[in-house]
Amino acid sequence: MKPFRVLFIALAFAGLAVPIQAKDMVVKEPPESLSKYYPPQSKQPKWIQQMHKMSTHFGGVFVNLKEKDFENVDKHANKLVEEYKKTSEMVPEWEDYFDVKAAEEFAAAAKTHDIAKAGKASGGLGRTCGKCHAENEVSVWAKFHWPSFHKIKVTDPISEKEIEFDEYMGSISSSFKGVTVNFSEGQYGRAAKALKIFKSRFMELKSTCSKCHAMQDVKRFYVGSDADTAFAGMSRELNADKPNPGKFWKNIGLLGKTGCKHCHLVHRTNSFIQEMWEKPE
Amino acid sequence: MKQSSRIFDLLVGLGLLGISGLGLLYFLINERFEWIPEFALELARDPQILKRPKAEKCSECHKNIFEAWKESRHSISWTSETFIEASENRSKEKCLPCHIPQSVQGEKPEPRMDLRDEGIYCVSCHFIDNKMNGPYDLLAPPHPTYRNPDYVRSGFCGSCHQKTFKEWKATKVEDTCQDCHMPRKKGRLTQKKGLNLLHKKRWVGDHRFLHGKITEKDVILETGWEEKFFSLSLKNNTIPHFVPTADNGDPRLYLYIQFFNDEEEEVDSAKEIIAPQQETALPYNKKINFRYRLFDPVSKAVVELKYQPAWSKDKQPVFSKAVTR
Ligand code: HEC
Ligand code: HEC
Ligand code: HEC
Ligand code: HEC
Ligand code: HEC
Ligand code: HEC
Ligand code: HEC
Ligand code: HEC
Repeated sequence: MKPFRVLFIALAFAGLAVPIQAKDMVVKEPPESLSKYYPPQSKQPKWIQQMHKMSTHFGGVFVNLKEKDFENVDKHANKLVEEYKKTSEMVPEWEDYFDVKAAEEFAAAAKTHDIAKAGKASGGLGRTCGKCHAENEVSVWAKFHWPSFHKIKVTDPISEKEIEFDEYMGSISSSFKGVTVNFSEGQYGRAAKALKIFKSRFMELKSTCSKCHAMQDVKRFYVGSDADTAFAGMSRELNADKPNPGKFWKNIGLLGKTGCKHCHLVHRTNSFIQEMWEKPE
Repeated sequence: MKQSSRIFDLLVGLGLLGISGLGLLYFLINERFEWIPEFALELARDPQILKRPKAEKCSECHKNIFEAWKESRHSISWTSETFIEASENRSKEKCLPCHIPQSVQGEKPEPRMDLRDEGIYCVSCHFIDNKMNGPYDLLAPPHPTYRNPDYVRSGFCGSCHQKTFKEWKATKVEDTCQDCHMPRKKGRLTQKKGLNLLHKKRWVGDHRFLHGKITEKDVILETGWEEKFFSLSLKNNTIPHFVPTADNGDPRLYLYIQFFNDEEEEVDSAKEIIAPQQETALPYNKKINFRYRLFDPVSKAVVELKYQPAWSKDKQPVFSKAVTR
């Protein structure tokens, strides 16, 4: 459960949150008591619901100030303080992120019905939200929104045995090499056999998508028509009397990029984070 | 006239009245239920039925249907080991809607907060707007009902079996999902002693939601030899959706081919995985071809087809055939 550091690469995480100070980012495993507010322990994602409540009342103050609906300004201001207090008690490990006084000061300013005063007083409260988001949102996503690849098993189409996902990646990658190495050595017959094995292993990956995705369309990516084109192109060269290396390597490149790399770019970041947390101390 | 015969007449009279009373009741309930006043019905209503109870509550009257449903995969859609594993202990939010639906109404349902162990149960499928929706226009004294034609249409199942429904629709076959997976038999909807006889017999759909069987008549094998090739084709001849078919499950057909030489020695082999998740399942009424290059002299091929359902690792034989050159 050691916190682990990743260099904050603005590009990769662009748009997630505004970093408060340093360029180092600590992706620390969220406190255990937060689990109570997420499935499977809770039927509903209660933490998020709480966030939406605060956010609604926070926003509600300003919307009504603009509309000069002062009765509702007061209502939202009071509710905000109430929900903010409630939230501050939900996760004891996070208590220090909250500043109830700042919330009360904001509410008091809002109740003067002076929009400039309210705006000014909102800064302190808003910063408490922002700080926690910057430090914890990525971790919470990795823990509660990203299912784990480490809990997925894959049936190897060759042996028909079920193995762990990362082990399967190892075997897919060695069968990929079986194709490329044999081809570069001019062993086309062996390359053709290796390609069959590699292809059936690659196609088996299609069966894993539905363990996390309920939308079939995702299969157009990584394992879709680009992969089909690449495999067809490779077979064509291997069945030809004189294989054309240029065409063969182009298809290898296509598969490696759209089939392996793109899927890694989308799915592996979170897997790395989860793996760190799963490691024994 | 003797005292005793008078009593006898009285009894016969009362009996006749009783029988005609019962007859009248039968007539009213089955043929003219719109004549029965609302307040009279209120007396017969059981308010618990409308509080989204467990399936067990419905079994007080619908015993046969309940027992059939108990045997169905729908009743274990939440407690199934394989589902629990695939959904990471049911923490993946995307996996909840169809496995614990609140209410089925023709589109992907919302997940339910209570009674999750009931899986896909009576209330999910029948309870809409405080009435039990079903295929009939009838009178059920214990609870309000509503005739809803969707219940005999494939679109109802398509709320969750979305991919299978699309496949079925494209075939333009008229048989509905219910025709094959809920075959109807004449019988009574309820089994509550005495009272059930007040209702006439009707067609009752099999609530085991039968899986359906694949045989060599459904999947047709054709083979052919060329000098250096063996080819075969499989055709889904009878089942108006892909075989196998699935939304999130991963059922498969495994096709094994072994090649033998004159000495009956196995010289080569091949394997195909025919699975909806890999987009290799057999479409309706279309031949799917496979071709194998033969490197050694081959005089016989043995073709074997096995089926593995989504919820099991056991493969069941469909057919095994030897084809000689
Ligand atoms: C102690 C930490 C903490 C504090 C303080 C905090 N939040 Fe959050 N907030 C989170 C976390 C963690 C998430 C990510 C939740 C998730 O995606 O599961 C989040 C997410 C949100 C979201 C997005 C919800 C969504 O649907 O993705 C909103 C809106 C939000 N917070 C509003 C606020 C507001 C407004 C405040 C201050 C008044 C605030 N939060 C204070 C931790 C905090
Ligand atoms: C362990 C779970 C898991 C598996 C297995 C998995 N994904 Fe994902 N994938 C996710 C999550 C989580 C996201 C983030 C967005 C979301 O929740 O859909 C995502 C995002 C995506 C996206 C971006 C578009 C989108 O839906 O947001 C694509 C495309 C995608 N995955 C394709 C695939 C394909 C193709 C496969 C199978 C080869 C696959 N995924 C397997 C978890 C998974
Ligand atoms: C579902 C999308 C997906 C596709 C497609 C995919 N991978 Fe992966 N791969 C992953 C994920 C996720 C991990 C991290 C697994 C983990 O953390 O256990 C991974 C890990 C790996 C690893 C490291 C294994 C280890 O021991 O940790 C290798 C090597 C690998 N993949 C190779 C490949 C190759 C080669 C291809 C293409 C032929 C490929 N992958 C296609 C998702 C994918
Ligand atoms: C749109 C509705 C729908 C959603 C959403 C859905 N399923 Fe299912 N699921 C079905 C249907 C219908 C079946 C039965 C037919 C089949 O095998 O697809 C099923 C069957 C299954 C099975 C095989 C039966 C068993 O108990 O083992 C598994 C496993 C499964 N689903 C897992 C999941 C997972 C994991 C998710 C989330 C990623 C999910 N389902 C989301 C409709 C859905
Ligand atoms: C006390 C007895 C009783 C109980 C309990 C009961 N029902 Fe019924 N139900 C009936 C009777 C009687 C009929 C009408 C039978 C007939 O006319 O053949 C009926 C008819 C139905 C119909 C057919 C509706 C139509 O229009 O086609 C449905 C659906 C139904 N019930 C669902 C349920 C469900 C779901 C439950 C549990 C939540 C339930 N019932 C509990 C007695 C009961
Ligand atoms: C609320 C969503 C939903 C509706 C509506 C629904 N099903 Fe299902 N069905 C499922 C799920 C989920 C499963 C998988 C249960 C399991 O095995 O875990 C399933 C399983 C099945 C199976 C068994 C498949 C197998 O692999 O053995 C059959 C057959 C079936 N349904 C037929 C039907 C028919 C016919 C209808 C329409 C009358 C229907 N279903 C309506 C969700 C639904
Ligand atoms: C997956 C959805 C589903 C579930 C779960 C379900 N039913 Fe049904 N039920 C149907 C459909 C569809 C029909 C119409 C069948 C037909 O074509 O006749 C039906 C019909 C009926 C009928 C009218 C008789 C008939 O077969 O047409 C009754 C009564 C009934 N159901 C009661 C129940 C009870 C009680 C339960 C729980 C034990 C239950 N149903 C569970 C879908 C469902
Ligand atoms: C003409 C009869 C027929 C019709 C109509 C039909 N099916 Fe099937 N279905 C079968 C047979 C036979 C099987 C067994 C073969 C198989 O496993 O694919 C089957 C299998 C299934 C399975 C099990 C999944 C599998 O393949 O392992 C599901 C789920 C299913 N059908 C759903 C549906 C739905 C939903 C509809 C309507 C859209 C439907 N069926 C229409 C005959 C039919």
